Amino acid sequence: MILNSIDKFASGKYGSWFGLLSRLTLGGVLFAAGWLKIFVPAKSQMAVRAYEVLPIWLANILGIALPWAEVGLGVLLVLGIALRFSAIAGGAMMVLFIAAISQAWARGLSIDCGCFGGGGTVDPGETKYLSEILRDFGLALLAIYLVRYPVTRFAWEKLTKTQGVQENGN
Amino acid sequence: MATSSSGGDKFTRNLVIGMVTLVVVVGAAFSYFGSKGSETAAIPSSVSKADGYGIVFNADVPNVPTIDIYEDFQCPVCARFEAINGITLEKAIEEKKAKVIYHVLSFLGTESILAANASACAADEDKFLAFHKAFYSNQPAENTGAIDATFLKSIGAAIGITSPEFATCVDNGGYSDWVRNVAEAGAKANVNSTPTVFVNGKEIDRETEYFNAEAFAKAIAG
Repeated sequence: MILNSIDKFASGKYGSWFGLLSRLTLGGVLFAAGWLKIFVPAKSQMAVRAYEVLPIWLANILGIALPWAEVGLGVLLVLGIALRFSAIAGGAMMVLFIAAISQAWARGLSIDCGCFGGGGTVDPGETKYLSEILRDFGLALLAIYLVRYPVTRFAWEKLTKTQGVQENGN
Repeated sequence: MATSSSGGDKFTRNLVIGMVTLVVVVGAAFSYFGSKGSETAAIPSSVSKADGYGIVFNADVPNVPTIDIYEDFQCPVCARFEAINGITLEKAIEEKKAKVIYHVLSFLGTESILAANASACAADEDKFLAFHKAFYSNQPAENTGAIDATFLKSIGAAIGITSPEFATCVDNGGYSDWVRNVAEAGAKANVNSTPTVFVNGKEIDRETEYFNAEAFAKAIAG
């Protein structure tokens, strides 16, 4: 089964290296995405409003809070601290982003995802929904990998596998 | 699989988590309150708080459509919009065919704030429209550092503003609190793109009416 071979890979020689790569990728992307928006809060608010999901006042709050949360999670992931928590939170963010982008696409809105700054209404020919969703899907997979295999190379917080305790039988 | 953290660096771990959380919470709060407008902000004389702190033309002309225009001085598409429709709008204002409200947003960065502030300084000289037009026909590339006090004063000089008050106003950013008020009102009005044009509170059609002078003139006739 495919899960079995992933398990084998993860506990093998390269598993923890792949964990490091996942941490740096997911954390690096989150950090960059947040950093690019942190100093242009009005633009970030605009990007969140353009999804037309949340009431305006809530979208305006989220537009300001989200970049800071992304930067914070990015730092934790890159350093390898509270890894399970930050991987779950990062993965949950990706799932929400995918849902938000999908609904915009399904409803025929023409917006930029605003993931790395930018955002808001764009010309109908300029939407990039599919590539945005695929990117976030890939990042979500990395997050799931980290949640399941949180022992990674060069993590500040040293995790060790607890001997003899296997929550999953596969 | 279960994991456990080795005990030695627990303190550092918690310290880092605490610091990151603190920076995130304080930063977000700072940013939130920093984006809030101010009731006591100095506002240019042609500005109406009831109209989203916009710069208003023909405020008291009865029975004409109200046109709200949201722009950012750094937005390249706004320069294109001005090149196509600027004359139509100026004419509508001159002939008192419409109440026109300019909302100068500033979401593209600090240079947008400087430009918006300077436009308010020009409004005090009754030269907002001239400033607006001259700025867009000389619009520098976004956030390159080109928009500074010297540049903005040269735009003023080019349209014949000579008063020392204008220079002081540009230098001191006297209307920067007002610029924040405009931004906050724009966010509340759900403006998600620039330029955005509302005629009597309803947005005109983005695909057909923004960049066609004829269609635009028809759309703003109300």
